[in-house]
Amino acid sequence: MTNDKIGSVMIVGGGIAGMQSALDLADSGYYVYLVEKGPSIGGAMAQLDKTFPTNDCAM
Amino acid sequence: MEYPQAVPLKYRIDPEACIYLQKGKCGVCQKKCPVDAVDFEQKPQTVNLNVGSVILAPGFEPFSPTGLENYQYARHPNVITSMEFERILSASGPTTGHVVRPSDNAEPEKIAWFQCVGSRDLNRCDNSYCSSVCCMYAIKEAVIAKEHVGESLDCSIFFMDMRTHGKEFERFYESARDRSGVRFVRSRVHTVTPVPDSDDLELRYVTEKGELKTEIFNMLVLSVGLQTSPELVELAQNLDIELTEGRFAATDAFSPVETSRPGIFVSGAFQGPKDIPQSVVDSSAASSAAGELLADVRNTRTKEKKIPPETEVTGDRPKIGVFICQCGTNIAGVVDVPQVVEYASALPYVELATDKLFACSQDAQESMSEMIREKGLNRIVVAACTPKTHEPLFQETLTDAGLNKYLFEMTNIRNQDSWVHKNNPELATEKAKDLVRMAVSKVSLQEPLEELELGVHPAAMVVGGGIAGMTAAKSFAAQGYETHLVERGDRLGGQARNIFHTAKGDSVSEKLEELIRSVESSDKIHVHMNTALKDVEGFVGNFKSLLSSNGNEKEVEHGVTVLATGAEAYKPDEYGYGTDDRIMTSLELDQKLKEDDPVIKGLNAAAFIQCVGSREPGRMYCSRLCCTHSVENALELKKRNPEMNVYVLYRDIRTYGEKEYLYRDARKTGVIFIRYSPDDKPVVKAGKDKITITATDHVLQMPVELEVDLVNLATAVIPYGDEKLANFFKVPMNEDGFFIEKHAKLGPSEFSTDGVYLCGLAHYPKPIDESIAQAKAAVSRAVTLLARKTVYSSGTIAQVDQQLCATCGVCVSICPYSAPSFAEEGRFAGKAEINPALCKGCGLCTASCRSGAIHLKGFDTDQIFSQIFGIDEAI
Amino acid sequence: MSDKNPKILSFLCNWCSYGAADLAGVSRMEYPSNIRVIRIPCTGRMSPKFILAALRQGADAVWVSG
Repeated sequence: MTNDKIGSVMIVGGGIAGMQSALDLADSGYYVYLVEKGPSIGGAMAQLDKTFPTNDCAM
Repeated sequence: MEYPQAVPLKYRIDPEACIYLQKGKCGVCQKKCPVDAVDFEQKPQTVNLNVGSVILAPGFEPFSPTGLENYQYARHPNVITSMEFERILSASGPTTGHVVRPSDNAEPEKIAWFQCVGSRDLNRCDNSYCSSVCCMYAIKEAVIAKEHVGESLDCSIFFMDMRTHGKEFERFYESARDRSGVRFVRSRVHTVTPVPDSDDLELRYVTEKGELKTEIFNMLVLSVGLQTSPELVELAQNLDIELTEGRFAATDAFSPVETSRPGIFVSGAFQGPKDIPQSVVDSSAASSAAGELLADVRNTRTKEKKIPPETEVTGDRPKIGVFICQCGTNIAGVVDVPQVVEYASALPYVELATDKLFACSQDAQESMSEMIREKGLNRIVVAACTPKTHEPLFQETLTDAGLNKYLFEMTNIRNQDSWVHKNNPELATEKAKDLVRMAVSKVSLQEPLEELELGVHPAAMVVGGGIAGMTAAKSFAAQGYETHLVERGDRLGGQARNIFHTAKGDSVSEKLEELIRSVESSDKIHVHMNTALKDVEGFVGNFKSLLSSNGNEKEVEHGVTVLATGAEAYKPDEYGYGTDDRIMTSLELDQKLKEDDPVIKGLNAAAFIQCVGSREPGRMYCSRLCCTHSVENALELKKRNPEMNVYVLYRDIRTYGEKEYLYRDARKTGVIFIRYSPDDKPVVKAGKDKITITATDHVLQMPVELEVDLVNLATAVIPYGDEKLANFFKVPMNEDGFFIEKHAKLGPSEFSTDGVYLCGLAHYPKPIDESIAQAKAAVSRAVTLLARKTVYSSGTIAQVDQQLCATCGVCVSICPYSAPSFAEEGRFAGKAEINPALCKGCGLCTASCRSGAIHLKGFDTDQIFSQIFGIDEAI
Repeated sequence: MSDKNPKILSFLCNWCSYGAADLAGVSRMEYPSNIRVIRIPCTGRMSPKFILAALRQGADAVWVSG
């Protein structure tokens, strides 16, 4: 059987959105390339102190 | 390194600032680094990747207020952005969480927040959309600032419309105002001037009553909006992706995570300004969309890990290896590590004790693995940082070395020792010895534990045949899973049947029919109409549900469940509803618009009344979709008859995100917006010819009388609050009757109960695009389970010694997860037994068992006693 | 019991207080060193027997947090 689809996904952005997609896809059987321009993942959320409406710590 | 919680927590060289890279001299760091981690030779590389799909989640940039001269941001140190204030509040920020203003590090007494800086503004910036999140984060910052400084701190938020449209947001707003004492001022401040001879700022603004006021604040926080960066706009152009007016990736309401280019999906703030939970929903939805595309090549690129066979150690004398981490200087700088190593090597059963510079580094892991094999170690203790982050890593090393991963104990000599006793190295060293001793005595009693392998039935059940339920079923089917769609009524479609247009102006019925057709024609989806759920048993991976339809019962097996049971429109008993045909709910007006009822064109005037049944005591939540819905229908009325006078009576207009354009267009078209306050609601009187509405106009500060031919009541979205269903799956509901998700931000589409997911209106009111995104998100989360084919229960669970069980039933009644039950057959019939798949290992039953018959593996009574006995030597 | 330097044994829930104690470290807070921590999976695991044993073993105080 020929199939030109590739079972891997590239995700651009290592913030909360990119990380969630990466986890979901990796756990579902796809190879994931998570591409982040900065030196660490976490994105904007990692810079927040607490998050609304529960005032949980953002880390 | 950007901040102390960065992941990975590693330093990197800033090439712009490095003397070596700029001038070729220095290199001190390279000489000093004890593990030779500094490499100046690294060069940027271009890597080509071939992938099946791309997800764009590049985020946003905060709007920079530098250009807004009237707010003094660039000129005055005490005018900062909300992102900068976030860092001031943070315990790991530059002020270690002390709220001080930048100019003099003094604690402020009065702080003002300005909303909509860089949002809803075309005069001073390009962003006419609403950034959706600023109202909530400003309230949060104000509340937390008051917590840090104290009650006396005066926090004032200057706003246009307060947009607290998310789950539990309205209560947060109420509590900030009534309990925390945050002041809310509805006004857009026009001038900020520095107060001469002080670091304060003077604000001039016009109150709601039209008075000009002057007030002095110590500090000003600009609630900056979210925007797409210019680099991203360029990226989008390179990728040939369409953008919206606000420069976000364009998507359709029925495919909310698909960009204009097939195979490229989008999530997070690049799809539109949004908060964390919505971003998380989108991201899972994008994963699902990619998964639908690539389902037939699943598992073709992933690699299987090879696991060596496990060495049998039961009955062997413990041979303990103790590894003590220096963590660079984090531990070794305080704790005398060689002394602890020496101490540990003399403890009972310890075969080997040694230290590691960084126990978590790859080479340390390999050497540990080697020592386990070489010395035949059968129990391992690692004294390092916290097991909460590093236990899985070390357990993997054990597995790789052929040891059962539970023959392990980690003790915390960093976070709970060297870091907190840094001025007392001697006592910290003593403490480390005690902790190591306690861990050694515990681990010597540790036995290899088994993780139960449970099969996952590769099918899903979706409860609810509305747009969310159908989307979920379709997505499961597309990813290759059999799905049972259970609908209690006789038609698919749910509330979407009643809706005329989406916020983007597309016809709903057309797309809905298409969706229904594809669900009905799918050979993987079994649609069960007129069907109720009678009973559910089983657990994650293995549910058995009893379906009942017109007296016929049928059992279906499924590995996962999605609850998409929806909600309905509130039927009010106020504003004369039910007494006059001209007074109707939003869905009833939609029906007329859909049918192209000729009455509509003939109307001279129509009014929309917002928040009917929402944001009121007893229903303290915003129904999220009604503002957009009414504004859109107001525009539609104007379109059908431009001469018509259209009024919207509202409390706050909450057209969040790019829905703001509708509000802008409505005002442009001449729709008149009149704000009312909840203690002075409009009065509706139905006369023979006309309906008269009396309300107090907020601009004129006077009562106005409107004569209209039609009144649309934008009524609340209310959930069904189905207790029976909630009990079947042991899922909680909040006081309003909406289901409570696993985590408000990180687990918005799943329940705490494993294997059960949620989406759509049953979670919270939301428009069609968000329902569809959440349906796909729920599926994505569920597929992570289905794709595994098997699940492993944790080894640290409770087990009954049935010879000792007295059948008292305390464990059965006390367990929050229903794991214990009485055995029905066999030698120990009547005695308690624990279902390992349901046990969460909390130990409640073990502590409560009066016969001492229950053992919690990994935290068994003798093990905890051995730790307690370990303290007698402690000082 | 030594008043100045009581020996404290604490039982911390893995999911909350143990994490909080970690965070105290991350935040570089300082506190006296005469406390020893036993990590438990949940305060539901706590049995009165543990407290009695700790006291008998010479602990001046037992702290259960979760």
